[in-house]
Amino acid sequence: MQKSLGGAVLAVMLVSVACGGSSAPNPGPSGSGGGPMKEGGTLRIAAFDGIDSLNPYVGINDDSYATYEYIYPQLVQYDPSAKFIPDFATSWTHSSDGLTWTFTTQANAKWSDGQPLTAADVAWTYNNIIKFKDSVTAGAAGVVQNLTKVEAPDATTVKFIYSSPVPAVLANVQQTSILPEHIWAQYAAGDGKALKTFPNTPTANMPVVSGGPFMVTSYQQDGTTLFDKNPNWYGAPPHIDRFGVTYFSNEDAEVTALKTNQIDVIENVPPPSVQTLKDANFNIYTGPSSTYRTFIINSSPFKKTNPELMDPQVRMAFEYAINRQQIIDTAWLGYAQPGTTIVPTTSGIWHDSSIQPLPFSIEKANSILDGLGFTKGSDGIRVANGHPMTYDVLFPGSERGAGDRAFQIIQGDFQQIGVKLIQKPVQGAYSIMTAPDNKYLNWDLAMWDWTPPLDPDFILSAMTCHSFGNWSDSGYCNKAYDALYAKQTHTVDEQARLAIVNQMQQMVYNDRPYVVLNYNDTINAWNNNFAGFVQSAQGLFSALDKQSLIAVHHT
Amino acid sequence: MRGADYLLKRTVFAVLTVLVAITLNFVLFRALPGDAVSNLSRVPHATPALRLALQKEFGLDKPLWQQYVLYLEQLAHGNMGVSYVNQQPVFSELRTRLANTIPMVALGTALAIIIGVGTGVLSAWRRGTLTDHASTNAAIVFYAVPTQWLGLMLLILLAGVLPSVGMHDPYAVGLGFWASKWDALKHMILPSGTLALTLYGEFTLVVRSSMLETMGEDYILTARAKGTKPWTIMRTDALRNAMLPTITLIALSLGYIVGGTILIEEVFSWPGVGQAVFNSVASRDYPILQGAFLVLTLSVVFFNFLADILYFRMDPRISA
Amino acid sequence: MSVIANEPGVVADTPRRRSRGGLLWDLIKGRPSAVVGAVLLGTFIVIAVFANVLAPYDVHTQVGPVFGAPSAQHWLGLDDGGIDMTSLLIFGARISLIVGFAAAMVATFVGGLVGILAGYFGGRPESILMRITDYFLVVPDVPLMIVIATLWGPSLGHVILVIGLLVWTTTARIMRAQVKSLRERVYVKRARSMGASNFRIIGRHILPQIAPLLVANVILAVAIAIFDESALAFLGLSDPTAVSWGSIIEHAFIRGAISGGAWWAIVPPGICIALVVMGCYLIGQAIEDALNPRLKVAHLSVHGFRLRPLVGLDKDAL
Repeated sequence: MQKSLGGAVLAVMLVSVACGGSSAPNPGPSGSGGGPMKEGGTLRIAAFDGIDSLNPYVGINDDSYATYEYIYPQLVQYDPSAKFIPDFATSWTHSSDGLTWTFTTQANAKWSDGQPLTAADVAWTYNNIIKFKDSVTAGAAGVVQNLTKVEAPDATTVKFIYSSPVPAVLANVQQTSILPEHIWAQYAAGDGKALKTFPNTPTANMPVVSGGPFMVTSYQQDGTTLFDKNPNWYGAPPHIDRFGVTYFSNEDAEVTALKTNQIDVIENVPPPSVQTLKDANFNIYTGPSSTYRTFIINSSPFKKTNPELMDPQVRMAFEYAINRQQIIDTAWLGYAQPGTTIVPTTSGIWHDSSIQPLPFSIEKANSILDGLGFTKGSDGIRVANGHPMTYDVLFPGSERGAGDRAFQIIQGDFQQIGVKLIQKPVQGAYSIMTAPDNKYLNWDLAMWDWTPPLDPDFILSAMTCHSFGNWSDSGYCNKAYDALYAKQTHTVDEQARLAIVNQMQQMVYNDRPYVVLNYNDTINAWNNNFAGFVQSAQGLFSALDKQSLIAVHHT
Repeated sequence: MRGADYLLKRTVFAVLTVLVAITLNFVLFRALPGDAVSNLSRVPHATPALRLALQKEFGLDKPLWQQYVLYLEQLAHGNMGVSYVNQQPVFSELRTRLANTIPMVALGTALAIIIGVGTGVLSAWRRGTLTDHASTNAAIVFYAVPTQWLGLMLLILLAGVLPSVGMHDPYAVGLGFWASKWDALKHMILPSGTLALTLYGEFTLVVRSSMLETMGEDYILTARAKGTKPWTIMRTDALRNAMLPTITLIALSLGYIVGGTILIEEVFSWPGVGQAVFNSVASRDYPILQGAFLVLTLSVVFFNFLADILYFRMDPRISA
Repeated sequence: MSVIANEPGVVADTPRRRSRGGLLWDLIKGRPSAVVGAVLLGTFIVIAVFANVLAPYDVHTQVGPVFGAPSAQHWLGLDDGGIDMTSLLIFGARISLIVGFAAAMVATFVGGLVGILAGYFGGRPESILMRITDYFLVVPDVPLMIVIATLWGPSLGHVILVIGLLVWTTTARIMRAQVKSLRERVYVKRARSMGASNFRIIGRHILPQIAPLLVANVILAVAIAIFDESALAFLGLSDPTAVSWGSIIEHAFIRGAISGGAWWAIVPPGICIALVVMGCYLIGQAIEDALNPRLKVAHLSVHGFRLRPLVGLDKDAL
């Protein structure tokens, strides 16, 4: 299914690139499956996350990022196989030392209000982030790492000047929305605080000034946000006239709303509802997502309690005792894949597929623990270092539902290897984990999840000693790993970088700060009125590409 | 004289309560775990610099008492702070939320009062008959079911027939005035209906028992003995006297209803003040929580005060 | 001082001594509803106590397909983890009733203590205690419960405390009024004049008099607590590891039972809650009725999450 959609995307892409900046109406290729194509119409999307702000310096929800993707230009975007393809930039090159990247941008492009959209807007956006990277725009500081300045020598050329080479340049520019300088420059005066308080909301006759295929014409937080076709969009025009994103406070209500035709598409179908929707003849897409679930073993070098948990043998025994297949079957009803490394499969080449999970084996786990001399007490619980092997497992609210089921399975199997686990639900898990003073002292085990960007740089960085109190949720700290990370950030050659990245994944896998339980599937469902979505690792309305809602059409 | 004294006392009490509420709100929210920053800074590539910047921005780096003084100062100027999540003023955010919640709650409560008083009077009048038993038992049943569960049951039964999410159909453009009102009303039926059904039973039982109680009073018995028709007694004396506890109860309930709609707003994705409270707990958005909490407390104080005044107006024993 | 003839909660002319069976007999006599209530509550208490024996399956083990439909082996079907619903409901009764009774005890203890102290000693202690009570009376309960449950973290103990500490206010007011009137009774005055200590007077003369009222209070508060726990559970703030009726509803809901058509995972726990609440209501009502047929002292308001004085507000506040 994804394959056939992918074909359609590529066709659209080619048209889009060929058309350049012209905004001439384009019929586009037809027949990407699912009936005859009709122009126009309104697509109603359900969102569980919600658009928390239209201001890119403020919003943090996934739906907000997807919104920016569709209303603002980015230089590049991802294709369904996680490769970079053109967006506002039509082509790009870099100098051999990796210090200068040059992008050629769409000619004659316009913002939705008719003002010219040029390389100067790109330069302003990036230079503005650099200017305030220690205050207002600190949230985006990562994308301008080592970036000295950005120049726009002419209307269609931008030059990025780096102080030292950065391998993830394309990944960085992919996630940065280019803002209209003529709207935003006034808020960048002084300390730049106004950049954050500017709500960027539409008014009755004035949509948000946009440069993407759509513009926001009406916004209601925790309600519905409406997007209309942007008449001045530089690429191939979308087939639908408008779409809306409606916030739902729970997933079950989304499914009910889809079934009763109050909406057309939902992005996160709860696995137990898939069969019902299939029976009711809805279209279902399932494919890999970048979300994965982890069983975390506190690895903080500061921690002195329960030292047995630092023993690699014990950690290996734990992995043997985790029945990934049963978790997938019961908690996720089959909509997940066994997990291995911290770089998920959706990262394409960066995922090291040579790493295999240990097979589920209570016997092996027991023999390892027996070998360590941790004998079982009268209650069947082993004793290690003078205390029973009984541990709390921190359980953040985000894991509720399926995670409860996964925990129960792990708990039952651990009982058989003489280890007692107690589920400990927590609110504000991160501050509990890092306490005190970012030393990670007060807990042993936890369950959580990650949805990292496709480029591995971020998730690799989250495992460094440097990210204590910042991103680390395991307290993992390994000097050799950190050295590899530093080397990775300066390796521009893809193959050389890949070798390092694989080595790092192997290292984390062996040390087991995490047992990656499973890679989740993304599950989307839509009715028969629409066809042609382009699926991505983050669903069909995502911050990874603009293709999906350009290609989708009425049937 | 006595009446004025009474009113003054109640007013002073209301004002004091508001002051206590303001202070306790502050204390309560500063004690919450997980400061806003550790949540907000969980965005890709967050740096320690960002965390510091955010802490400064929200004044979380200052000592508690300074934060308190700042809070009082701002509140005095009608400024309830800025949402951590969307950086917009809490005041306008809450105004929007309340404007969304109030019509739904008003409709639900009005329905509950009408049904409750109606069935209560009917029950009392027809005491001991099948009608009485049927209406009393129905009231007890609706009164005993959990709000969220009743909402879910209505969702199961009626989701295909009535809209189950949001306040209006965002895609219906160019509706006329009446058509858009009709659309809004349709969206209100399920949440307001849930509220009405869960509330009305309580009213029925109270009205019925106050009526019966009044009917046992000496003066009613005397009237009866004198041969006044039962319906006349019911209309003139019993009903009027039974209204006293009923109205008090209703006024008292109103204050809590707004806070109690969280469950209904969760089930029907209603973008009201209850949902704001719930979402801001999840995102540790103190200013919104604090603001909402203050507004809800004030509404309870207000309705209690209203109940006092009503009581004062209606009870001859006080105003005499 | 008091402008209202009937103080809330004043038990008029209760005979001082009453045979042990007296109250019970009064309760049942001519009140079939009390019998119904007792049977309802009693049944669930028995189920809760003997959950281990009664539950056909373990509640931590998958015994069939996810959301399996009701069948001969599983009368009420299976939940989202393939766990037998009948067994879940049986064990759920245990947790729900424990939360209910424990929270009700906390509420009645705090409320009773405050009420007795205020009513007995009067004066300054009384006005301070009553001011505190009045403040708690206007706090919006549900939002406060949410805030505190979040603050303390989700655990059953916290839920019990939160509920208990929010439900005590009316008990305090009713008890105070009651004790105030008892204090003026002849036999209490006589005991005092004979040099009995306050402690003794409260223990010997006051407590026995208000005991039936306290019992009625506990039973009514149980209903409120069970109701509140289900609300907190629905918002994900109760202990997800403890199987209560509230958490069964929440769990089924977040796992898509409604859209998936698995009504058996969501309908029965709601019915159980309703039955217990009805049972408590009927019994509480009957006890009050028996104490004073003409005066309802308190009114259980589950949806308002509190007990409310029915007759008259406390007009001498401040």
